[in-house]
Amino acid sequence: MSEFLLDARNISIAFGGLKACQNLTLQIPAGGLYGLIGPNGAGKTTAFNLLTGVYTPQSGSIHLDGRPITGLPPHQIAKAGLSRTFQNIRLFGELSVLDNIMLGCHLRGRHALVRTLLRTPAFVAQEAAMRTRAMDLLGMFNLAHLADEQARSLPYGDQRRLEICRALATEPKVLLLDEPAAGMNPSEKKSLAQSIRFIRDCFKLAVLLIEHDMGLVMDICEKITVLDHGCPIAFDVPAKIQCDPRVCEAYLGEPAADQPAPAGGGPAA
Amino acid sequence: MATFFDTLIATIALGSLYALVALGYTLVYGVLKFINFAHSDIFVLGAWTSFTSAVAVTTLLDTQGVPPWWVGALVLMLAVLVCATTGYLIERLAYRPLRKAPRLNVLITAIGVSLLLQNVGQLPGYPVVRDNVPPAAATADASAPAAQGQTLATLPFGPTPRSMPQLLPNAVLNDSAVASGTITAGSGRGQVRLDQPIEILPDRQYALVVTRTVDGEPRTTTFRLVGIEGGRIEAGTDIGTQPRRDPIDFENATYRLVLSPVVALRLIDVLIVVSSIALMIVLQYVVFHTRLGSAMRALSFNTETAALMGINVNRVISITFVMGTALAAAAAFLYTQKYTSLSQPASAVWVLLGLKAFVAAVVGGIGNVRGAVLGGFLIAGLELFGSTYSEVLITAAGGSSGIGTALRDIYVFGLLILVLLVRPAGILGTVTREKV
Amino acid sequence: MKNLAQNIADVPRSVAFRPATILVPWLACLAVALGVHHYLPMIVDEYWVNVFRRMGVFVMAAVSLNVVNGFAGQFSMGHAGFMAIGAYVAAGFSYYGSLYFRGEANVDDFMIQGTLLMLVGIVAGAFAAAGAGYLVGLPSLRLRGDYLAIVTLGFGEIIRVTLELTGKQVYDAKAFQDAPLSTLATLPFNGSTGFERVLPYANLFWVWLFVGVVCVVAYRIKNSSAGRAFLSIREDEIAARSMGIDLTKYKVRAFVLAAFLGGVAGAIYAHTGVNPSPTDAGFQRSFDIIIFVVLGGLGSLSGTAIAATLLTGLSEVLRGPESIVNSPAGVWSLAGIALALAVGSALLKAVGNRGWRVLAVASVAPVLLVCFAYLAQWLATAWGVKLSDYRMILYALLLILVMLLRPNGLLGVREVWELFGPEKPARRPGAVGPGKEPAP
Ligand SMILES: Nc1ncnc2c1ncn2[C@@H]1O[C@H](COP(=O)(O)OP(=O)(O)O)[C@@H](O)[C@H]1O
Ligand SMILES: [Mg+2]
Repeated sequence: MSEFLLDARNISIAFGGLKACQNLTLQIPAGGLYGLIGPNGAGKTTAFNLLTGVYTPQSGSIHLDGRPITGLPPHQIAKAGLSRTFQNIRLFGELSVLDNIMLGCHLRGRHALVRTLLRTPAFVAQEAAMRTRAMDLLGMFNLAHLADEQARSLPYGDQRRLEICRALATEPKVLLLDEPAAGMNPSEKKSLAQSIRFIRDCFKLAVLLIEHDMGLVMDICEKITVLDHGCPIAFDVPAKIQCDPRVCEAYLGEPAADQPAPAGGGPAA
Repeated sequence: MATFFDTLIATIALGSLYALVALGYTLVYGVLKFINFAHSDIFVLGAWTSFTSAVAVTTLLDTQGVPPWWVGALVLMLAVLVCATTGYLIERLAYRPLRKAPRLNVLITAIGVSLLLQNVGQLPGYPVVRDNVPPAAATADASAPAAQGQTLATLPFGPTPRSMPQLLPNAVLNDSAVASGTITAGSGRGQVRLDQPIEILPDRQYALVVTRTVDGEPRTTTFRLVGIEGGRIEAGTDIGTQPRRDPIDFENATYRLVLSPVVALRLIDVLIVVSSIALMIVLQYVVFHTRLGSAMRALSFNTETAALMGINVNRVISITFVMGTALAAAAAFLYTQKYTSLSQPASAVWVLLGLKAFVAAVVGGIGNVRGAVLGGFLIAGLELFGSTYSEVLITAAGGSSGIGTALRDIYVFGLLILVLLVRPAGILGTVTREKV
Repeated sequence: MKNLAQNIADVPRSVAFRPATILVPWLACLAVALGVHHYLPMIVDEYWVNVFRRMGVFVMAAVSLNVVNGFAGQFSMGHAGFMAIGAYVAAGFSYYGSLYFRGEANVDDFMIQGTLLMLVGIVAGAFAAAGAGYLVGLPSLRLRGDYLAIVTLGFGEIIRVTLELTGKQVYDAKAFQDAPLSTLATLPFNGSTGFERVLPYANLFWVWLFVGVVCVVAYRIKNSSAGRAFLSIREDEIAARSMGIDLTKYKVRAFVLAAFLGGVAGAIYAHTGVNPSPTDAGFQRSFDIIIFVVLGGLGSLSGTAIAATLLTGLSEVLRGPESIVNSPAGVWSLAGIALALAVGSALLKAVGNRGWRVLAVASVAPVLLVCFAYLAQWLATAWGVKLSDYRMILYALLLILVMLLRPNGLLGVREVWELFGPEKPARRPGAVGPGKEPAP
């Protein structure tokens, strides 16, 4: 019915008087790699929360692969094929790295109590398969040697990559990344950019990326939506976004200057 | 109808006590976002400190009957002092190191503190006061044959339930004196004769207040009249009294015959309500109109930001704890005056009492000062009206007595579950959503 | 990349189907129970046999509570309520059952049939408790941590009050046989007096068999995808939901499972020669169990089992060390165990296994316990105090100290055997393995 894999139209939410997200439309085709930017507090994370069902939109509709997912609880949305990472990392800290990924595989498995207690062949096979799969994924991200470590003991960069890895384990159709490069150094950012492209191609999914590093966003995203005070103010290819006066105004808080915003410098937000 | 008003008065008194304790829970929850499970044990500490110091003071003064008013004030002071100090220490030693720990850990620590207070409280203690023997001598002679008199209190408080000495006059405010004069003993034990004729109303209670002078001091005893019917009783007729006393106890005595009201308004109830309301007003003022109050509210909103704004977080939290525990101590003192039999410190009775106050705080909306007060009255009302009327209904329907009364806890916890399901933040609370 | 279904199809049958994995734990339970039943009475006296029965009940209670408090992180404080439901239902079955079938409840030669009745009662009690667990689990969906704690506490109190209001126990077999159903409808559980004359069918064998069963069930849950789902809820509800875990389902499941196993514990308890009474549902009993779980480690089955065992032993010691010292065989076997553990520890250290520390601690513990018993006895007589008065104070202090110093309890989510294995090189935090770039 729609040419878009993820099709969110006019979604809005307000917290009391604060309109955190207003009439936001996000449409991502299969295989797309799109960006969502905006100054701090613009409502980007809120948009992710709306898409993934953490908050229920007060108006608007969301479809994933033609299926309506508006108002579904988060676990059903995840099952429908929408997975995400968190701005402030939310790993299962006390559990091992491997367990974190195996939890990502959880929603594609079956977990009836009887087979769990009796250790039926189906159960054993599923556990073994989850383990293989988790190790494969960890191997892809060069985390395999850390499989038995506690997730919280990992260095920050590894934790971010582990979170992406866990999100991929759910076999998503669309992956939402919330500031994956936050706190990384330039070389880490570069390899992150590479791996995001790689993920998109290898897993054949669409990616929506929130990022403050303009260099990264402009580099890898095909199209970018800009949010300000909860309202979408621009949606275009990176080159056009860079010289959009409304975007500069949103970031710099003043009417557009003559020059476009410098591409490489992340805005001081 | 009399039942209704009696229950109403009891509700207002008990509700005020619940509200005072609930305020302690709410204050601490406001600044620290955790349930101070040990708060009910602070209440117990207040009650038992009141008891021990009351026994000590009255024994030292060797007073008979109701002691002068300042004894009550002194006992209250002591209770507040002990509780506030304990509260401060608990916060300092047990809770402060866990400021950044998960909520569950703090909750478990609080349970630990609660168990500690309960069980230290009821260690078999040393006798501190013996009848007519100064406290110092009592411990020294502990091994001597126990002819010295009876142990009135121990420290710690010991595993024995005790009854609180009376510090405030047990007066009924709305009774009316029918007659007064001098009394003479009647023909038998427990019989008296009055010096004037009296008119007795049917179906009403009368109290005979007899005062006589012993060793130059007046002593007052209150009797009930028994075996009388409505109508006129001539002077000099034998009238039965309860409790029964020997004729000698009526020699040279004056009397006042008092008509008990249908619905009694007791001094202690009025005192509880008045002082609770006064404390609540003071608290309301402190929280909403002082610098300390705005610091508390800032902390409640966001601890980190409050610290950045130059608020001394530790100090404000300590003060909040001290305030909460002082309120609990005051409530405990008033409680001991109304309900004079004290269960042992680790008794389930106390924990239930504390839990109900906590339920009051949650039902009203925890973290909300007005909510705590509302919740206190609501819970007390539900408990007392619920138990009174279900008792009436069940016994009327032929059920055995006592069931209705036993149901009161079920009502309270039922209400808690209901409120939490319908309005998880309580009646006046505001919903806070976790930011993701 | 393959999806999970394809991965599962790839697993060879030889990996998936292993009868040993399926059966061995159950056989081990049976063996342990038989061993305890036959050999323990040779070593210790009657008194300690009873202590071991009680200990078994506490281990079951603590392990079952760990399913909801430890795995799922939903802090339930009404566990004694579930146990009491199990206890009353099971006791009802065996008492009224023998009244109905034998016309008398106090019959010793009714052993086999009595045991059968008890087993039926255990199943019924466990299901009744699980039903209650379902009811209590429902509000847990909307309540966070401490609120939930209070609600479950309130639930336990409701159970206690309800039990206090139950009708008179029926002793007259004839009356019962004439109208069994209408008699049972009056809930004849003897109110606050407590259910009397339940025969102690649960001997060491049955107690420890069920300890084994409860532990295997709990362990299999922990080590499964369902168990990981519980743990993820405890770690981070929001992340768990976005990983596709149905909070509603798993929270309720945790409550139901814990209540079910707690019901088993209660049902056994009712048959160990005590009168189940309403106070067994009260929060003091719940707190006892919580203490075992918290000290042992929220999420660690072996940790809670050890804590329950040690603390039950400790409370016996505090009751007076004579009971230990008077049983020379007991002292010798303790010494033997200590020695064996010490030797084991030395061996492990020699082969470079990090588990030697555990064995070392374990070998010292029984020795310390006996020494502590003597010391405590000596102090108590010197100061003229009763040690059992100090039991709860000791527990409370332990609880506070553990929370301050080792917030995850003795073992956290780990099991004892996870502490064994080859010595690991110390890994500095921040030191990362080779290659940080993802393979393109
Ligand atoms: N649960 C919530 N309750 C109230 N306000 C919220 C909530 N979540 C987000 N907000 C507010 O919505 C606005 C947008 O936040 P967010 O989406 O996190 O911004 P960002 O674009 O930096 O990710 C902020 O002002 C934030 O304070
Ligand atoms: Mg954000």
